[in-house]
Amino acid sequence: MKRALRFIYLSAVYLFLYVPILVLIVYSFNDTKYSTNWQGFTMRWYAQLFTDSPLKEALINSLIIASASSVFATVLGTLGAFAFYRYRFLGRKIMYSFIYIVMMSPDIVMGISLLMFFITVGLAPGPFTLLLAHITFCLPFVVVTVYSRISGFDRTIIDVAKDLGASELQMFRHIMLPLLMPAIIAGWLLSFTLSLDDVVVSFFTTGPSFEILPLKIYSMVRLGIKPEINALSAMMFLLSLVTVSVAHLVTKENR
Amino acid sequence: MVKSRFRNFAVGSTMLWITVFVVVPYLFVVLYSFLERDPAAIIAWNFDLAGYREIFSPVFLVVCWYSLLLALGTTVISLLAGYPFAFILARMPRPLQRMGLLLMIIPFWTSSLIRTYALIILMKANGIINTALLSLGLIEEPLNMLYTQTAVFVGLVYTLLPFMVLPLYTSIQKLDTRLIEAARDLGAANRHIFTRIIVPLTMPGIVAGSTMVFLPALGLFYIPDLLGGAQTMLIGNFIKNQFLTTVNWPAGSAASVVLTVIMCLFLYVYFLSSRKAHTSGMGDMA
Amino acid sequence: MKKIMVAFLLVILPALAFGARQEVYVFNWTDYIDPDVIKQFEKETGIRVRYSTYDSNEALFAKLKIVKKDGYDVVFPSTYFVERMRKLNMLKPMDKTKLTNLKHINPALLNKPYDPDNTYSIPYMWGSSAIGINVRSVKEKDITSWNDLWNPRYKGKVLLMDDVREVFAMTLRSLGYSGNDRDEAHIRKAYEKLLKLKPSVKVFNSDSPRQPFLNNEVVIGQIWGGEVYQANQENPDIRLVYPKEGAVFWADSMAIPASVRNIDAAYRFIDFLCRPDVAKKNCEFIGYATANLTAQNSLDVRTRSHKAVYPDAEVLKRGEFQADVGEAMLVYEKYWELLKTQ
Repeated sequence: MKRALRFIYLSAVYLFLYVPILVLIVYSFNDTKYSTNWQGFTMRWYAQLFTDSPLKEALINSLIIASASSVFATVLGTLGAFAFYRYRFLGRKIMYSFIYIVMMSPDIVMGISLLMFFITVGLAPGPFTLLLAHITFCLPFVVVTVYSRISGFDRTIIDVAKDLGASELQMFRHIMLPLLMPAIIAGWLLSFTLSLDDVVVSFFTTGPSFEILPLKIYSMVRLGIKPEINALSAMMFLLSLVTVSVAHLVTKENR
Repeated sequence: MVKSRFRNFAVGSTMLWITVFVVVPYLFVVLYSFLERDPAAIIAWNFDLAGYREIFSPVFLVVCWYSLLLALGTTVISLLAGYPFAFILARMPRPLQRMGLLLMIIPFWTSSLIRTYALIILMKANGIINTALLSLGLIEEPLNMLYTQTAVFVGLVYTLLPFMVLPLYTSIQKLDTRLIEAARDLGAANRHIFTRIIVPLTMPGIVAGSTMVFLPALGLFYIPDLLGGAQTMLIGNFIKNQFLTTVNWPAGSAASVVLTVIMCLFLYVYFLSSRKAHTSGMGDMA
Repeated sequence: MKKIMVAFLLVILPALAFGARQEVYVFNWTDYIDPDVIKQFEKETGIRVRYSTYDSNEALFAKLKIVKKDGYDVVFPSTYFVERMRKLNMLKPMDKTKLTNLKHINPALLNKPYDPDNTYSIPYMWGSSAIGINVRSVKEKDITSWNDLWNPRYKGKVLLMDDVREVFAMTLRSLGYSGNDRDEAHIRKAYEKLLKLKPSVKVFNSDSPRQPFLNNEVVIGQIWGGEVYQANQENPDIRLVYPKEGAVFWADSMAIPASVRNIDAAYRFIDFLCRPDVAKKNCEFIGYATANLTAQNSLDVRTRSHKAVYPDAEVLKRGEFQADVGEAMLVYEKYWELLKTQ
């Protein structure tokens, strides 16, 4: 009974998450440029995607930035969360409140202030400044996630490790990292997701030669979103699903 | 005080990053809020409080109030929906947990705008839900779903749910089941086990998830606009309009600074009270 | 961390090194040009097109204002942004001798107050915003004026654009003022009139107003002429009515920012887009009205005579192009905020 209830709840949430995705996949076969009403079946959006599409380049750029920034933000954020937890240093609380400030800053404020900053220090907007910006807005989410996991731990673990002669680095590497791993993965997932979806900060911090997918998508609304973008999203979605399933099977085999 | 190269590296790298890419740009914003607006050059280098004067109007208060309610509502719904989900997930066998988490996050790798359009296809007057209900004869007239408050909350929860679920999952996952069993052996009722043991022990996750939903929800506006019909103005619209439509950077910056100050006070009071309530040591980061 | 940086640079640097070929940096809306046209330009001239996108004139303005060097070569600001940008020296005056295809541009669209003599901008696409109706719920003959939006019969079924200038221009015209009025008393009057309309409004949408019409969410409201044409590809019931007070007109123009990198390439690109065969392709792809008269005349009759896209000369004369309102923008925004928070 209880198991069934759990199963139903879990399915309901996944249903909530996947029904819209299913809708957008179905509508990627919709034979219309102009509306979201069903006008008949077509494969042309996929054909267009495969022959030549400016969306492809933007997608690749997006994936590069999302991978790089999420990894960097995760490493930095994990170190940061540990530092905030373990060490007492000048400005610790003020620095932590800035983590919250980043999270609540409206995108436009962050985008413009970062761009002004890059211009002031002489960095021309482009892929590099875009990366810096993405790391910056992902960082707080990693810090908060990892910190929430750390903060419940028994501090005696650290003391025991230190008593056994472990250095700070060894203690971090061999004790904290494994314990924190679920939170680190969660932080990475959130960063990757955030980076892949950011529009406003990216608009201001990138340059004329490096365009990422969300910018293209947002700029599309003026002429109406074409199902071509649904087709791209559907492909991406299926690809991630396959990758995840394969990874799951492979790690299972190894057990 | 611990001294080591690792400590210096950990503290140094984070602090350096936050200082350079967060504190300094934020100081730019604070600075702009005290400068004079100049139609030609955006900003003139004269001290001026006009930015603050302009936003201290009933309109700004109303805008803040709407945004606050919306963000709070989203946080509460996400927490109520996300907690059981994270709990069930964290109690599954390990490999299934990872699979479950990834399956949860994959939909979010699709642009949120595209997903919001999918929600519109579902909810519009001649959309999937209405068509289905009408053809089943369950309703006579199409239900009015799009451009309602409900649609806005559905959209916001749909966009922010992982930010609630993931931190909840990480803190529930480390929950020591032996504590629950011990309590049960001692005859504690399920309700008490939940409120006295599980909730306090997973409080860090609840706090982290709630902040990660609440704070970004404050500034979000395109989802409420698309699904709610842009009937109201939110703090995100307000600030965006100051920067882009009227090119009034001092007012936009001032609004942003005031928002930050209000939120910091809010968080400070919250942490003070939670420290008094002595909930599992989360007060130490106030 | 270092490894990641190195890997990242390895990906980026070759892309930069290939830049030796001539390039033109174009800043425009997504899909606001036929991709084949870009390919054709690259093939004919050997100049590579770097295309990036923005999603609003305001965003374009802000970006150009902040980034003052190594920017874009060709941008596509709308009507009054041309005026605002040229007044702030953000655009380069154009050397018309380099634009051999200028003669094809529709003279009715040239020399408008937002850019006298077109020193800074060449019209690309243009259109109107007028009243959209769904004839299944609204009788076409009942609608003659902007004031019909206020008819209580349409309560809860009205669409307004989510754009302060469009909404106020419409209301100001319904009151008999110019849509570019700067007088606070007039703007205030328009605001008071709009307060009466607000309860009737179901949705504010200026991105794609045809969608709520096609979705049966609204039956009357402001709409772009081009959007009606697009909607008609699927649903003939959506019609455009030009109100007797005059429609509001817009034009997206090609312009060269002051921070241009490669001005020769910019001229070649603009001139290429002014070529009638290219303009025809673009307008068929986009679905808005081309500013190129030669191209317009070569379109098929059905498109060419679609009144929502190509209004009669008389309608055009009665209407008004949007112009910059300068500092009055602050007043507009103030009343817009009040309206939205009611």
